[in-house]
Amino acid sequence: MTAERASEATRAGSDRRSLLVDALGVVSIVGVLVGLYLALLWAPTEAVMGDVQRIFYFHMPSAWVALGPSFTVVFVCSILYLVKKDLRYDRIAAASAEIGVMFTTITLVTGPLWARPIWGAYWTWDPRLTTTLVLWFIFVAYLMLRASSSPGHKRARLSAVVGIVGWVDVPIVFMSIRWWRTIHPLLINGQGMNLDSSMAFVLMYCLAVFSLLYVYLLIIRVRQEELGSRVDRLRQQLLMR
Amino acid sequence: MSDIGFLYAGYGVIWVVLGVYLFTIGRRQAGLKRDLERLEREIERES
Repeated sequence: MTAERASEATRAGSDRRSLLVDALGVVSIVGVLVGLYLALLWAPTEAVMGDVQRIFYFHMPSAWVALGPSFTVVFVCSILYLVKKDLRYDRIAAASAEIGVMFTTITLVTGPLWARPIWGAYWTWDPRLTTTLVLWFIFVAYLMLRASSSPGHKRARLSAVVGIVGWVDVPIVFMSIRWWRTIHPLLINGQGMNLDSSMAFVLMYCLAVFSLLYVYLLIIRVRQEELGSRVDRLRQQLLMR
Repeated sequence: MSDIGFLYAGYGVIWVVLGVYLFTIGRRQAGLKRDLERLEREIERES
């Protein structure tokens, strides 16, 4: 009777958690749609760049999610894995790296689409653009390394080393527009944010909503990694028989 | 392409990348669930 009640309580807890995750997913997607409305219709048109400046409201939050939470979680979880040898950290790092690559891809594609009408060229080997492209290559290599090796501690150790070394490029990307001569806009300087208040509001809103979307994607991807490792264990179990 | 064209292309790319990623996650999830059920059935049959 007690075991039955405990199992029922566990199931109820798991159902409640799933419901919360689903709610987070709905809130994130609706939030992104509201962000789309704010960016395309509500925000005022920029005086010099015109409508194409509106790309920036999704470009910068994508860059923030990739460089901020995504690759930093890879870095922290890679260190935790090397210290504790717990594969849970490896799974979180892998999930976060994948999301980071997806958001870096968005950043690298939307940037040139803004640059073409403003700079007159899709791409220049500017320090910010180049270091971001290098970061993308490093984490694509990280994902390829994982995809081409079998699951286990050896893969986790190798991935953790790549994840830690790769993260070193994140502060370089961030500081590149301060360290070197660049044509990339500098939004935040010593005097604060170079933006009109309603533009700053839309940007802050999009940053918050993209962060929420990152949390949702991370939760579902970590769960998927756990399911994958359960499938691998069962496969091993069958092979041992 | 006009400025508006670049703007639409930018937002179009964002939604395509996000959509493809969510679709991939969904497909991977369905595949894992199928594998899990099949393996559990095999283990049950063998025990």
